[in-house]
Amino acid sequence: MNATAPVSPSSKRRLRMQEFGLAGVVLLLAIILGTYGWHDAAPGRPNTFLNPDNLIDGIATPMSYYAIMAIGLTLVIITGGIDISVGAVMALSALGGAAVLQTLPEHAPAIQVLPIAILVPLLIGTLCGAVNGGLIVGLRLHPFIVTLGTMSIFRGLANVLPAEKTLPSAGRQLPKAFTLDFMRIEIGGLQPMPLIIMLIFVAFGWFYLRMLVAGRETYAIGGNEEAARFSGMRVGWIKLRTYTLAGLAAGLAGMVSLGRFGTASTSTGSGYELTVIASAVVGGASLLGGRGTAIGALLGTLVIALIENGIVILRLAQEYRLVIIGLAIIIAVSLDRLGSMLRNR
Amino acid sequence: MSEGFIQFRSVSKSFGGVAALSGVTLSIAQGECHGLMGENGAGKSTLGKVLAGIHRPDEGGLSIDGKPQMFSSPRDALAAGVAMVHQELAFCPDLSVAENLCLGRIPRKWGMVDRASMESRAKKLLAAIGVDLDVHATMRELSTAQEQLVQIAAALGTEPRILIFDEPTSSLSQPEAERLFELVESLKARGLTIIYVSHRMPELFRLCDRISVLRDGRYAGELAGGEMTESAVVRLMIGRDLDHYIPEHLSSAAGEPVLTVRHLSSPGRFEDMSFEVRAGEIVGFAGLVGAGRSEIARALFGLDPRATGEVTIKGERLKVGSIQESLKAGISLVPEDRKRQGCVLGMACSENISMAVLPDLSRRGLLDRSSERSLAGKSFADLSIKAASIEAPVQSLSGGNQQKVVLAKWLARKGRVLIVDEPTRGVDVGAKAAIHALVDRLACEGFAILLISSELPELVHLSSRVIVMREGRQVGELSREAVTQESVLRLMSGVESSPARP
Repeated sequence: MNATAPVSPSSKRRLRMQEFGLAGVVLLLAIILGTYGWHDAAPGRPNTFLNPDNLIDGIATPMSYYAIMAIGLTLVIITGGIDISVGAVMALSALGGAAVLQTLPEHAPAIQVLPIAILVPLLIGTLCGAVNGGLIVGLRLHPFIVTLGTMSIFRGLANVLPAEKTLPSAGRQLPKAFTLDFMRIEIGGLQPMPLIIMLIFVAFGWFYLRMLVAGRETYAIGGNEEAARFSGMRVGWIKLRTYTLAGLAAGLAGMVSLGRFGTASTSTGSGYELTVIASAVVGGASLLGGRGTAIGALLGTLVIALIENGIVILRLAQEYRLVIIGLAIIIAVSLDRLGSMLRNR
Repeated sequence: MSEGFIQFRSVSKSFGGVAALSGVTLSIAQGECHGLMGENGAGKSTLGKVLAGIHRPDEGGLSIDGKPQMFSSPRDALAAGVAMVHQELAFCPDLSVAENLCLGRIPRKWGMVDRASMESRAKKLLAAIGVDLDVHATMRELSTAQEQLVQIAAALGTEPRILIFDEPTSSLSQPEAERLFELVESLKARGLTIIYVSHRMPELFRLCDRISVLRDGRYAGELAGGEMTESAVVRLMIGRDLDHYIPEHLSSAAGEPVLTVRHLSSPGRFEDMSFEVRAGEIVGFAGLVGAGRSEIARALFGLDPRATGEVTIKGERLKVGSIQESLKAGISLVPEDRKRQGCVLGMACSENISMAVLPDLSRRGLLDRSSERSLAGKSFADLSIKAASIEAPVQSLSGGNQQKVVLAKWLARKGRVLIVDEPTRGVDVGAKAAIHALVDRLACEGFAILLISSELPELVHLSSRVIVMREGRQVGELSREAVTQESVLRLMSGVESSPARP
């Protein structure tokens, strides 16, 4: 007779505990940096860390591109896959958007500019994602190999297709309705648009994973693809959809970056894929599949962003930036591993 | 011949609370070929593995040639002269035959691999069993039979006194098996003590001097020479008194035909299967491992793109080869390998139970969590699933409860045909009874059920009829009245072929 009651905590609670843990790390970093920033501030000057300008321009804006892509990538990682082409897709989307937008007059009305400014990068990103998904599903190739290839192809296209290395071309400017009035819109003296878009996308990711059948299918495939197939799930479709969404996220990141900087270059988003993967993993996504959340991806990105910002605030040598971030990734994942080992005992 | 060359003394071994061997005492004489026989799960392979140092007995011990031995690894066993030819072949598929034959002690010269002496050693080993193979070929290029020969050559290369064969013919064709038998006979003639684990009677009768039969992990008896008849063996294999916990299948007169299969074939897997399953009927499928039973389940469920034939469900033709079509037609499959195909171990019970009915539990793609919870709650009550909560991950449940979750998943779909493949594998006795009762109840509720099982008592007691398969063919059908463990066993092992063997 097997009367032993299972003692392991519910899977839901495990996820939440992980998010709380990350939130704790964020809080700890914020307290450390806030205290230092308070000490460090010149008399009568605001806290060098805890001030709206640093929080928005120093942390939220630069992390927005990473966070948006980390959520897209988290979907992919949950299915047990990987996408390392996101940085290149971001570049291609931003360049595509710039190429179309620079043909519009500088003072074109918002009603004409915004749909193009938003839809073109999203469309390019979606298309690239669909290509990734199509190759992975159609040819049954390993996602790492496929996106290694497409990363090179997309980056190559970003080098070849535009007439110049940077768009808009010399002497031209993107419509102000997009770059100034929309993306740098001022609320209370701050420019929070990238933060707002990021939060909207986090909400979308949360809704998708938690509330939709599609989200459940994503987890099921990552947890056990064979069992998902045996339950009648269309595994191929679900994967295609997931990679397409990751592409869409990269397109959105491209759009934000284009609007924020007013330019896109062939090197936009270069090397971002590694930071994005790191963010997703620090956020609790398991490369083995089946685990990860949108909130986790946001918090994971935030941890890395805080460390990056901390290097500036603490006036540490920038040369050590990569070393510190690398250590942070390994520590975060080991702590998570240790935590789940302790819980499962 | 000295009696008791190998002596097992009340050997017990359990895996995760399930006893595989309990108090087995057995003695084997030097130079004999000793058969170990029993049903699936009777413990015959486990006993072989204890001797080969793979499993360490929990209790009891063994001695070889009068010396007590306590092996803690296959290395120890090899040192004592015991080698084993495994059922699953363990090799590095991308290395060459020569490299595999010298694995672990590759000859070196100046710190580098000495290819010449490695190859000559490999050739010598193969020649010793009269096999001519290209030693440069990779293992991947070889047939299963050739791989096995390499394994035997490797085993003999350790110059053993005792050689154990574990189900050596399970993946061999008839002529290949014949060559193996000749090889075993020649090894015996060289004075090796051979332990031959199998459940195929004809080959045991041919090769073995004596046969020991195991039943439910216990020593059931021994037969020698003229006593070795199939009825004697079957009596020893079956004589169990645990049968009473399997309920007699109660559902009465079968209803109208639900599933009709005509000339279903899949090249290399099974051929020309024709049968019918009525509502309320449990049709058992018996056969040895590899006889093609699970393959039929896969084909009906749409997992075999090469399957051809005519399948109709309630008069409607089913397009074979698509899971979606099979599901739509109302076919459900509780697969053989629960952990790989049945459930998502890391997900909550409730999420597993709802997995096949998500479209019904949602509106415009939005998941209705409260009906998901109530479905899970109902399933828990209905099947008395024991877990910390409906949100506990499936991996925290016992095997029996995991299986109930898989069953609950399919019951939620309310299909018409339910295929259950080895429903009680790895499940403890209490849960077994509950699953049997459940399968029986589902039949009473009008499901047409296909029961694939390697456990004869289960088949005999639950089935309305039993279809027996051998080597991918339907070799007989036994009505409820004619079904006994003995009759099924004879048909499936081919002792008494009804239609002539091809």
